Amino acid sequence: MAARTDHDERAGSQAGFTSFDDLPDGRRRMGWFAMTVSVFGELLITVGLVLGLFVVYSLWWTNVVADREAHKQGDKVRDHWAQAPTGPGALDTKDGIGFLHVPAMKNGEVLVQKGTATKVLNEGVAGYYTEPVKSSLPMTGKDGNFTLAAHRDGHGAKFHNIDKIVKGDPIVFETRDKWYVYKVFDILPETSKYNVKVLQTVPKESGKTKPGHYITLTTCTPVYTSRYRYVVWGELERVEKVDNARTPPKELRG
Amino acid sequence: MYGWIWRHLPGSVWVRALISLVLVLAVVYVLFQYIFPWAEPLLPFNDVTVDNQ
Repeated sequence: MAARTDHDERAGSQAGFTSFDDLPDGRRRMGWFAMTVSVFGELLITVGLVLGLFVVYSLWWTNVVADREAHKQGDKVRDHWAQAPTGPGALDTKDGIGFLHVPAMKNGEVLVQKGTATKVLNEGVAGYYTEPVKSSLPMTGKDGNFTLAAHRDGHGAKFHNIDKIVKGDPIVFETRDKWYVYKVFDILPETSKYNVKVLQTVPKESGKTKPGHYITLTTCTPVYTSRYRYVVWGELERVEKVDNARTPPKELRG
Repeated sequence: MYGWIWRHLPGSVWVRALISLVLVLAVVYVLFQYIFPWAEPLLPFNDVTVDNQ
């Protein structure tokens, strides 16, 4: 039965569309109108499935890829730290300058790399701004604003839980030799995406007027969109030297 | 459309089902690997930085 069907169809397909006239299973040829409607309907179903897949891709698959990449690069940075001789000039920032720990976000450590280009952030890391306002880095020891961005959803979603941060929460930045412990002092839950003033060396919108050691986290809000930006500001509280066992500061214990 | 593809696949029902599955997986692979990464930056879902543009 199956063999005969195959044979009939192959013969039919050689003859082109006219084979629809006499389908072996007894169906009659569809009219052009019915056929158009049917193809159109199938296209709509296909579009729906593709959009559904896109959601799966955005919210799940990009996280898988980004986390894998971030782990790899994070391990590389830690290896560097373990091997490299101490001393000035030994700092290699190509793979990343350090790790951000925000206990309130409950997502472990976030590798920090240079730049906020899509390509950088898509690897599941936080990037420090190089434009429009250049971030200052805590390692320099100078006054300034350490400005960071990371994804809210997809691509590792490193700042997904940024809304769980409240004033007074610690933000710890780990480098090879130091723990920089910041304390959150202001939060801007919604601002325009053009509001580059939040990145200023002295972020006036946070109420600060004097230069100091600040940290700024930016991401998009509300979740799953990029309509606005969410901003969290912190100020340096103290710097701890990293000991041999890399014992984390008390904010990260318990 | 899908009926047309089904009718033009060779083999028994099981072979056709298997080929269909492979085709579906191939399409999903191409979407995830090439199409979606290309389309994503064009859509306004995941801009996280503040900037002047």
